[in-house]
Amino acid sequence: MAELTIVRPSAFKQFRVLLGKELRQEFRTREMLTSMGIYALLVLVIFGAALSQAAQGFDILQVSGGLIWALIVFTSLLGLNRSFSSEKEEAALEGILLMPMDRSLIFLSKATSNLIFLLLVELISLPLFYFFFLTISSPAPSFWMASLPLLVGSIGIAGVGTLLATITSNARGKDVLLALLFIPIIYPLLHAVVAATTVVVVGGDNLVGTFATSLALAGGYDVVMLALSWFLYEFVISN
Amino acid sequence: MTDTVAIAPDIHLALAIQAEGLGKSFGSRKALDNVSFELPEQAFLSIFGHNGAGKTTLLRVLSTLARPSAGKVEVLGLDVREKPEELRSRIGLISHRSMLYPDLTAEENLLFTARMYGVQNPKARVSELLELVELTARRHDPVRGFSRGMTQRIAIARALVPDPALLFLDEPYSGLDPHAVEILDRLLERLRFGKNLVMISHDLNHGFALATHLLVLAQGKVALFTERDELDVRSFREFYRNSVGAGGI
Repeated sequence: MAELTIVRPSAFKQFRVLLGKELRQEFRTREMLTSMGIYALLVLVIFGAALSQAAQGFDILQVSGGLIWALIVFTSLLGLNRSFSSEKEEAALEGILLMPMDRSLIFLSKATSNLIFLLLVELISLPLFYFFFLTISSPAPSFWMASLPLLVGSIGIAGVGTLLATITSNARGKDVLLALLFIPIIYPLLHAVVAATTVVVVGGDNLVGTFATSLALAGGYDVVMLALSWFLYEFVISN
Repeated sequence: MTDTVAIAPDIHLALAIQAEGLGKSFGSRKALDNVSFELPEQAFLSIFGHNGAGKTTLLRVLSTLARPSAGKVEVLGLDVREKPEELRSRIGLISHRSMLYPDLTAEENLLFTARMYGVQNPKARVSELLELVELTARRHDPVRGFSRGMTQRIAIARALVPDPALLFLDEPYSGLDPHAVEILDRLLERLRFGKNLVMISHDLNHGFALATHLLVLAQGKVALFTERDELDVRSFREFYRNSVGAGGI
């Protein structure tokens, strides 16, 4: 055999390789994206059925933030539950755990890929939400600012969700367990991003104040929870 | 159940594995209990024992996949607790599960491993390994479509990517067709020169024939650790039957 040279790669390079593998795998099978996309469409259909009986004069703008985040949270749960399926099938996770690397990179690459998939599904489902539910109302001109809470909220969901999906991946009844852990833990984030999203859709005098406060709360939540997830990940994945 | 029989080697060489009072518990259950042995370098250790005897747990501890609850273990001179990352760059593991991504091709799986380890010129290394396991023609096919034997051959190539100094094999023959068994035999014959090999086996004759050292576990304890040349296969089978029981033979 030829002479073999091995140079320990940097953490960033290993992260890129791990993320590349996640994306290649998903874009080849489209397993997670397809199921999340279809699920998001079905949730929109249910919203349609629920709102079709609303009373005359009902202002959908007031609940639009909540509806958007309900759509995102339920769709992300489906994706998170599947995020370790390829690692479990042939024990590929053990192969990764045997590699000389900082195991927190597994968290970073999984969370990043989960975030990318979630944003892609949002990119398809949220314009549809706008088309079906908001075109008959008149959202405030600040509506475009909703992209900020959407990004901050999605980062938090992908980060915390990845940690919890790792914890529950070996558990019996992991689907229910993940939801039971996930929703109470992300509640503060959810509260903040629903407030920030609603206020930019509705508009009003206190738009800037409410938006800034809610976004700061959501951003703070992301920083604290992502740092905690990064710190705990080695322990979680090794046990 | 059994007393430990340890036959110390006459010549003290550098050690591939040194386990001293090793223990691993899961709650109140002791999977490994006071396991001690010293394996010299360039050895081929076959590990035997019934299901639940602690074989896989021992392999997981030695390969840093599980932390020991008690005792001290050094593999290739590195403490598994203190220097796991350094050790991981020098060991490989072949299990009865392939540790591959089924939706990636054979080549993509190997390239992924090579890049994670930092192999320079990964494509050349992957081509070399695909040739070694006789699967060059299937390099662009997803692993999901492979037979069990072919998948196991790619799993072997994956474990060999960083050219590990010590290779752990957890029942590598399980579920293989005769052709795959033949290829694995040839590979092990080739690898045993210059490498350390530790293999769990349920096949007494096969495991005995390949080994330089034998380790028998019973209920998490060492029932026997010896150089293979100290015993012939008949007396080994007899020992196994009498001390561990006939069920595993």
